[in-house]
Amino acid sequence: MTVLILTCEEDVTADMVVVHLNGSGVPVVRLDPADLTGGVSLSGEFVHGRFRGHLSVGGRLVSINGLRSVWVRRPGTPAGRAARPSAWLTEEASQALYGMLRGCDARWMNHPDMARQARHKPWQLRLAQRCGLPVPATVITTFPRAAREFAERFPDLVVKPVSGAHPQDPPRAVPTSRVAPDTDFSAVAFGPTLLQRRIAKRADIRLTVVGKRLLAARKATAPDADPAEVDVRFAAPGAPWEPVEVPPRTADAVRAYMRRAELAYGAFDFAEDADGTWWFLECNQSGQFGFVEVETGQPIARAIAEWLARPVPVSPPEVSEATGTLR
Amino acid sequence: MQPFALNYARPVAELAVATPYVYDSGMQLNVLVDGRIAACDHALLREVGTTTSTAGSKTHFDD
Repeated sequence: MTVLILTCEEDVTADMVVVHLNGSGVPVVRLDPADLTGGVSLSGEFVHGRFRGHLSVGGRLVSINGLRSVWVRRPGTPAGRAARPSAWLTEEASQALYGMLRGCDARWMNHPDMARQARHKPWQLRLAQRCGLPVPATVITTFPRAAREFAERFPDLVVKPVSGAHPQDPPRAVPTSRVAPDTDFSAVAFGPTLLQRRIAKRADIRLTVVGKRLLAARKATAPDADPAEVDVRFAAPGAPWEPVEVPPRTADAVRAYMRRAELAYGAFDFAEDADGTWWFLECNQSGQFGFVEVETGQPIARAIAEWLARPVPVSPPEVSEATGTLR
Repeated sequence: MQPFALNYARPVAELAVATPYVYDSGMQLNVLVDGRIAACDHALLREVGTTTSTAGSKTHFDD
């Protein structure tokens, strides 16, 4: 049984997992859906009540029914590198590839439907609340007046993108940024705006969840850190990431989140305040983990490899279309 | 007419160094010029920053 990894070639973080799978003798096929109709080929037939499908890349041929797991890491847009790419071809390639994969019994990290749902930050915030995780006061609005009133109640605010996406024309990044108390909120009318009470943090927490395993790392905020730098991705390097224990109540809430979200992998970001409370910021369903492993030595890649390598669950017998008999 | 959040946008910081490895389709891994597996060189990964959570990249929608 083979592990299928959907990711781009330059994804060296995926390599960290491939190394472990190779070491344990688990067959791996790695491909980028962007290479469909070029370096990647597929075929599947539905005949006599049965399905047989195959994927081919780089001289490797794998049966779709022979997959034990599918890891959706950093896949490109299906057929994005085809000789004549188009939105129509992308949809055709996407439906063919993911449609056939959805029909197999392999375990997903993460299933595309669950991944799509889990990317919605407002949904994340609500699920975190329901699971008992502390969530900073947040408003998402297109009403300038609502933003002004929220700022009066919570004068120390940050703004961040609702989607987590960044504008590409031209390429820009929108880091989580502090909002000055006297800010003019009239531009809130031109796009949904997410404002959140700033947590005066003493550390950032990255909690990586692989199946039932929780691996948390903590990066202390320097006492002399610039208070304007609230986004750890843009701050000066500062203290290293270090392993940290997960408080039991947080662990229970995070496991509930993963269960309700039907995710096999998630990278949670928390801000730790002066009281030691971990405030939920977001859960990235495909968040980076390599930088944490490199700094802390936590065996995240190994945990992912072990999850992917588990045997496929036994499925109920199929009923033959022609005879009605059990197979 | 610019959305409020874009008042806080900044240019994307590009990687200053080119990645010193290339994909080997036979191994299904990125390898260095001397044939070593890039993912096994944690000092290198730390230096080039390609496993790091970033923002603004097309390929890092989920950080």
